[in-house]
Amino acid sequence: MRNRARIPLSKAKVRQSWSKYNLYNLARITTPPYKTRTVFQQKWSAKSILRAYHSEQVREGMWERMFSRRLRSVVPMNPEYLARNDGSLESAGRGSGLESSFAKRRPKAIPYMQMTFAPLERRLDTAIFRALFASSARQARQFVVHGAVKVNGKKMKYPGYLLNPGDMFQVDPERVMFATGAPKGLSDLSSPDDRAVSRSEDKEGAASLEDQSEESSQDEDEDAEEGEEKEEDPREVLKSLLAQAKSVISNPKGGKLNAKQKQNLRGFAKEVKRQLSRRDSTTSKSHDLEAQFEELKAKLLRKPNLPSSQAEDSSSSPNKEEDGEKKEESTTTLSTSPPQLNTAKGKDYDDDSMLDPEDLTALRAALARLHLNPIDPTKPYATPWTPRPYMSAFAFIPPFLEVNQNICAAVYLRHPVARPGMAEVPTPFAQVTGGDAFAWYLRRR
Amino acid sequence: MTRGALQYLQVPLSSFTASLTPSATVSKHCPKCKRAWRRPFSSTRSCDMTKLRAEMFNWLNSRGKNFLDPVQGKTNYLTDYDKRGFRRNKEPDAAGEQADSTEREKGTRDLPRRPFPLNEWFISQPILSEELREEIWRRVQIDKKSIRNVSVELGVEMRRVGAVVRLQELEKQWRAENKPLALPYAEAIHSMVPSTPLKNPPVPHETVNDLPVHSMTLPQLFYPTSESRQFNRVDAGRIFSGAPRLPDEADVTQGGQSVEPWKDTSIEIVGKPGHERPVLKAADARIPHPHLIAHEKDKLDPELDALERHERYHARLREEMEQRAGKKEARRKQIEKHTTRVDTGRYEFLIKDCQTTRLGTGLDGRGTASPGRRYGVPSQDRKRGAIKIPTKVEV
Repeated sequence: MRNRARIPLSKAKVRQSWSKYNLYNLARITTPPYKTRTVFQQKWSAKSILRAYHSEQVREGMWERMFSRRLRSVVPMNPEYLARNDGSLESAGRGSGLESSFAKRRPKAIPYMQMTFAPLERRLDTAIFRALFASSARQARQFVVHGAVKVNGKKMKYPGYLLNPGDMFQVDPERVMFATGAPKGLSDLSSPDDRAVSRSEDKEGAASLEDQSEESSQDEDEDAEEGEEKEEDPREVLKSLLAQAKSVISNPKGGKLNAKQKQNLRGFAKEVKRQLSRRDSTTSKSHDLEAQFEELKAKLLRKPNLPSSQAEDSSSSPNKEEDGEKKEESTTTLSTSPPQLNTAKGKDYDDDSMLDPEDLTALRAALARLHLNPIDPTKPYATPWTPRPYMSAFAFIPPFLEVNQNICAAVYLRHPVARPGMAEVPTPFAQVTGGDAFAWYLRRR
Repeated sequence: MTRGALQYLQVPLSSFTASLTPSATVSKHCPKCKRAWRRPFSSTRSCDMTKLRAEMFNWLNSRGKNFLDPVQGKTNYLTDYDKRGFRRNKEPDAAGEQADSTEREKGTRDLPRRPFPLNEWFISQPILSEELREEIWRRVQIDKKSIRNVSVELGVEMRRVGAVVRLQELEKQWRAENKPLALPYAEAIHSMVPSTPLKNPPVPHETVNDLPVHSMTLPQLFYPTSESRQFNRVDAGRIFSGAPRLPDEADVTQGGQSVEPWKDTSIEIVGKPGHERPVLKAADARIPHPHLIAHEKDKLDPELDALERHERYHARLREEMEQRAGKKEARRKQIEKHTTRVDTGRYEFLIKDCQTTRLGTGLDGRGTASPGRRYGVPSQDRKRGAIKIPTKVEV
């Protein structure tokens, strides 16, 4: 299907998309003028801009068949009021004057005319976009066509499938992360100081990224060198690690990291990896958070130059280590191997005074963060994952969907309805425009 | 305008151009090459960037910068900023830290969470927070409370409660299987979108007693009635569906013997043959939680104390659940009675009896009440424009 969903600047068309062009258009559109135009012109332009937003991928004939003049609405009822009054109060025709309490609780108007395009919210591709699983309706459509979407556990390849109330749809989480994450390769240089840091970081950062991509050979060499060189003082390592850990956890939770924080995060990841893959490790590499933390703690709290652990390092063969490296390279949050608790746990650290509990929790939090949102160059999006630019201006979830973001699944609860003061169909235009479009499809021109 | 000012606009300082919104400058000059925009019939090459594009980037670099990154724990919609690009002061917190209802009401009129500047009727409503979801799942699956009960307790619609339980079950299954989850994505969404927190006492998430507006009630009717008799919601429903008023002995409000409106689940059909229609029930019976009306009536009764009210409330829920289970069982038995099962080992065939009679097909053979082909009527998938995509997916 040809993509006609361009976002031209000359005609400010708004699309179902999170692009910056769309945001700009959304910020500057106005309700089309009506005083200078005929009724036909008003209806024509109204239906044209509304169709461009709601259903540019649906043919006109298809939409005309879907159009329904019956607009759904609900009125919230108060059981307490229903218990006190059986309706005879209203029908008596008394007490509806200006001064009565009836006038005060006059309900708000129901915006029916915003519900014209409600039948389209049933479409699978639109629902995926509304659930914030794709950055545009077009992308949602592509996910469906490419087989990344399941409805009620079965693969559904038709973007025009009309969801029934109670249907659950799932999108592959990797695709969702790709669609909603910041693009790879573009360094987001939002502020000048970021730019400065990132310039200085460029060489280092590139090196560290390379590191991760071709880890197995390089790291081994490094380790070998280190082993020959000398034993580092764990205190020094600990100090630097803690500083980095604190920087890593200091950033706002869902927000973006600045360049300095990214640098620290990368450094922390590298350091943790290095510590865990040292020759004197007694355990095989584990991906489990708890196990890693215990291992790291054990390593750091070990007294410098203990012969006990040195003796064991010859036992671990280089082959085994290489395997471990490869496993670690595809860093995922969850491991396939069961956590292997450290055997060195009990014997080594008697030196708890070095670490106060605060530092320990900081270290643990930073490690957890690394596990939750790992740096992984194999992913098709920028890692660690951050929301894509301009996403927050479009982020809302309509109430007729119940979404679980962790597994990227959502349930279509019911059809969208209008209620006093509120319509559930997300449409960027005013009610006048909706009304004109509705009148157009009533076919009374 | 003075000549000096014009000159100033024609020779803009580069720093000034870069900093804020010099829309006057952009409208006349390309910010890149500092020359006037290309004019029709002019052979002077201006710049590759069109004026529209320059204006867009100008906006994106000034006011549009607010939307580049999310604001932690708050919504970041276009309407959250004023014309100059400054954040408005009194906006509701995304974490659900709302003030009392009157203030919120006021906020809805002035500055609610509106993602679309032109559409004042669309509000970004809160989603359930992770803790609340977990709590819903716990109450239904661990405490074995009914969905109806949990819905009333937490102020969450019944369909949503069911969906949450289903999704949480799936999530737990995924976690047990060590499947990769989209955790950073979930965290980001929860910080961008308003959410209802788990609190004690619970903050209601949405209205749970929504009455669907029935199409029978849409036309305005003028119905003269006597003043000597009260005209209530039950009567209104009957009038809207064209049914006669109930006789006094069947009307509770007139002292007759009948079920109360909220409990009434019977189906009454009126109309001539071929035009039959069910009688519209009173709103009391059509809301999702009719039992709450009885509970409120109990509250009005001074003879009942809190403990008794509590007991009666739960007895009502139990009774309703038993009734529902009984009906479900009866329906299942009815279906089973008319189905023959043939198990071939690989498939189990369910064979249902059906009859194609004139009653179903109609005199012209085109009626749809009976199964089977209709002579002269093309099947749906041969019609022009009919798309052959599934209409439902069985769970």
